[in-house]
Amino acid sequence: MERKPCALLLKFPGTNCDTETARALEAVGFVTEILPISALKPETLVGVSLVVMSGGFSYGDYIVSGRIASLVMEEKLGDTLREFRDNGGYVLGICNGFQILSQLGLLPPGSLVPNTIGRFQCQWVRLENRARKSPYLCHLPEEFELPIANVEGRLVTSDPAEAEGYVKDGAAALLYADDVNGSFSRIAGLQDETGRVLGLMPHPERFLYRRNHYDPDWDEIPDSEGSEWGSGYLMFRSLYQAITEGEKNQAEDLTSTAHTPPSLPV
Amino acid sequence: MSDTAPLTPLERIADAPADHYRVLRISELDGDGLLELSRFMKLSLSREDMLAIQTLYAEWGREPTDVELEVIAQTWSEHCKHRIFGATIEHEGSDGPETIHSLFKTYIRDVSQRIFDQKPDFVLSAFHDNAGFIRLDDDLAVCLKAETHNHPSAIEPYAGANTGLGGVIRDILGAGKGAKPIGSIDVFCFGSPDTPADRIRAQDVIHPLGMMRGVVRGVRDYGNRMGIPTISGAIQFDDAYIYNPLVFCGTAGVIPIADIEKKVETGHKVIAVGGRTGRDGLHGATFSSAALDTDSHETDQQAVQIGNPIEEKKAADFVLAAREKGLIEFITDCGAGGFSSAAGEMLEESGGTIDLDQVKLKEPGLVSWEIFISESQERMVLAVKESSLPELRKLAELYETELTELGEADGSGVLKVAHHGRIVCELDGSRLHDAPIRELRSHWTKPSTSPDASTPQVEDAGEMLRELLGDFAIASREPIIREYDHEVQGNTVLKPLAGASGDAPQDATVLRINGSKRLLALGLSLLPEWGKSDPYAMGVACVDECIRQLVAAGADPDRLAILDNFCMGNPDDEKELGALVETVKGIAFAAEAYNSPFVSGKDSFYNYFQTEDGPVSIPVTVLISGMGIIEEENHVIGASLRRKDSLLAIIGTTTGDLGGSVFARRNGIVEAAVPETRTEEALQCYRKYYEAVKSGLIRSAHDVSEGGLAVTLAEMAFSGKAGLEIDLCSLPMDDLAGKAAMLFGESPSRLVIEVAPKDFDKVANLFDGLPFAALGRATGSHANLRIEWGKEILLDQPISDLKAIWKESLARYY
Repeated sequence: MERKPCALLLKFPGTNCDTETARALEAVGFVTEILPISALKPETLVGVSLVVMSGGFSYGDYIVSGRIASLVMEEKLGDTLREFRDNGGYVLGICNGFQILSQLGLLPPGSLVPNTIGRFQCQWVRLENRARKSPYLCHLPEEFELPIANVEGRLVTSDPAEAEGYVKDGAAALLYADDVNGSFSRIAGLQDETGRVLGLMPHPERFLYRRNHYDPDWDEIPDSEGSEWGSGYLMFRSLYQAITEGEKNQAEDLTSTAHTPPSLPV
Repeated sequence: MSDTAPLTPLERIADAPADHYRVLRISELDGDGLLELSRFMKLSLSREDMLAIQTLYAEWGREPTDVELEVIAQTWSEHCKHRIFGATIEHEGSDGPETIHSLFKTYIRDVSQRIFDQKPDFVLSAFHDNAGFIRLDDDLAVCLKAETHNHPSAIEPYAGANTGLGGVIRDILGAGKGAKPIGSIDVFCFGSPDTPADRIRAQDVIHPLGMMRGVVRGVRDYGNRMGIPTISGAIQFDDAYIYNPLVFCGTAGVIPIADIEKKVETGHKVIAVGGRTGRDGLHGATFSSAALDTDSHETDQQAVQIGNPIEEKKAADFVLAAREKGLIEFITDCGAGGFSSAAGEMLEESGGTIDLDQVKLKEPGLVSWEIFISESQERMVLAVKESSLPELRKLAELYETELTELGEADGSGVLKVAHHGRIVCELDGSRLHDAPIRELRSHWTKPSTSPDASTPQVEDAGEMLRELLGDFAIASREPIIREYDHEVQGNTVLKPLAGASGDAPQDATVLRINGSKRLLALGLSLLPEWGKSDPYAMGVACVDECIRQLVAAGADPDRLAILDNFCMGNPDDEKELGALVETVKGIAFAAEAYNSPFVSGKDSFYNYFQTEDGPVSIPVTVLISGMGIIEEENHVIGASLRRKDSLLAIIGTTTGDLGGSVFARRNGIVEAAVPETRTEEALQCYRKYYEAVKSGLIRSAHDVSEGGLAVTLAEMAFSGKAGLEIDLCSLPMDDLAGKAAMLFGESPSRLVIEVAPKDFDKVANLFDGLPFAALGRATGSHANLRIEWGKEILLDQPISDLKAIWKESLARYY
């Protein structure tokens, strides 16, 4: 019998998108557990395929967003999360999760700082898909929409050229089609070099259903899946398929001793 | 200690020395002395109240402790006891002289009870819990609660609004055995953001612009951090709100029906969860029951609480997990009056003991009464079985919130509070129910109106429309809406801004509910401008507008419930109170006419300020908010134009009365009557409209409200999908309606609908015999709003220009 991959969703005090993110993960097939951070131990990651950090305001985000959460993660897990990634695990950070991943150093260097208008921004944005081989984005079209909702969503690097470099080398998996918040090179999401770690400011879990779109006549994604789903669903489904296929291949590879790391989906 | 310092009123009757509590010899005092003591202790109790307390203690043969007096003051405060809504009022108004024995019982509770009886099993709980519940489906119920936080916001806008929202969220967490908050509404009344500084006639008053920014950010930072979408709201601007702004916060929740009923039984443990207790928020309940003045900005700071949304988020996660595991027997929030109200409510019947030594404090040295009435935020009080305690402790550890065992229910019927080895308070709750009933007088005479006032000439309707779209009453609230996370929880299907361009205004907002195929619509209305000349008509029209919004969005007109939130100035002013009475009668009439009950409500008095030029009261303001059940997702209807081939029609009658309209205010028309609401006709229309919705015949629908029909049409076209060609020649209207009333009048009960050409006849047939007419059509051949009257072009404006005016007006000030 096929084993369904497990997703572990970490919940910090102040994490507030866990329910809808878990709903999205479950909708595509993941067995999902929401785990309050107080119960996290290094061994919790055993048997887990995907670690998710969802949106919210971890510990209030009163200092740099994601900072305290990242310190708690390091204290609780040490190097375990890095090892998890190196061993083929997937890590997804949405909004506050992206901020935490950036603080943890699991993504190319960059900081998420206050938006140029200096205020919270809750709006829908158009995104350019720059990583069409990414396990997360391979089923999504070249351009699609998702909502953002953050006050610190502007990605900056120590030198703007560094951000340009991310666009060239494919680390910038998602770009805003328009400059919405002053992000360098309009970067909305970053992936690491394995492609298994993705951080993005927009909220795919908020566009799980077609009806989540502001336009009742929204019709950008062909109807192949039945009419219920939105673009966010496609992202979670892409990921689910990549993980299940990867695990199937791994199971087949068990007979061979040669271990080849997954190819870079740039 | 100096022996020359004069003794305070409290010291004169206290047993020296001052310890953590004191016994006060009130039996020695006369009426003046009692009143002086009430003022000194900030009890906000009247001479009659204090005399009643004195009598009560004489009967018991003892003197009260300071803790007991504080508890009674909280219990009897206007904030907690609603004594004006319970008062006996000699009223002289539109129906001649009459005696009203309790506005609440007569016009809110009894009216609603009659409606409950007609709709068995729809309203599942009303008026007694922290929020009223209505049935969503077989398993789930939804609730809504709205409160004001006016005085704290006047003094400290950010913290006041912050804790205003935090408090109403806790009401939902404390409703039933712990409902899940799923959406918030916020409604504000401010002075105009461009008010010249010299128009503010008092020291230390915060300018309306600072007020608006502070309040919005306070709501933003609490709602966003809690992860509850702020999805619906309104702002009214009027000079009368400069000194005393109004801040209404509301939250909706969902709960399994089986978890609505809660009961405390002997042996249950009383626990507190969440934040610690400090000196912040002392006397909030009594403070809000008095008027403001410049000194308030200095001396009442202590009454404004400090919010910590993450503390509340942790407590909320704990409460919801505990409820799902069946570990909660009773829960309520620590709101006004702190532990004294929460424990009082919980142990009202059973009685029991609370041990203040167990309370976790923010700082040492609090005396007994401070601990017991402190309104420190983020605290919930629960009654649980002793056997559930170990699992609850584990949950508290898991969610990193503090759990404290405070005491237990003992079946004695008496509330006993222990501190440092003494009983500092021992009160039989059943004896505190009967606060003296206040006796008030009120009168109301409708100002005279002149029919001529309603027929001004409109020289340039296009220019008038542009002015109206830029008026603060109508301009887009986008900059504020985008500061609120209105998408969190992923269930906001009809957003406050929507349509093809994502920035067009909507009427109601709609939430999907996890675990149900039904949806919840939230709507609201307030029309303070109407109330200035006709509070009764304001009351009726507010109920109508709220119901119309819910119905327009696809809710079943027979499954609606509403809330009333009143704010007024000085209830001792007979004319002001008269306006309130008329308003209450108006909303009661409309609720009964529409068969939509009240399930919860709240009132706020003393919203006036002593300026250099004398007291300034707010106009009597009622907020009607409501929830409606939408049967399925396909019934959700937005307010934005969707297709180029559509036909438009109007439902409802246009009358000539321009009173209360934005047009009248801008044109200085003062003597116009406000329109009457034709409730019977309206309800028939709403039911027919719902039939059309169920048959899939409606593409979009927008209510006609501020700015009238021309603004409604422009707003529909803001989706950018099409131009509009409208002809008003067949508009259903009365004889007095001139061009101004047709274009800009605000007569209620009207909806503009968008229909596919093939469906038009079917829709028209549904409305046979009712006010219904074709208005015109959408077009792809131009992008203008063109309104004609027969052969005369009344206005022809590019929609993009109109939209730019509408979008920019408030944004410039925000």
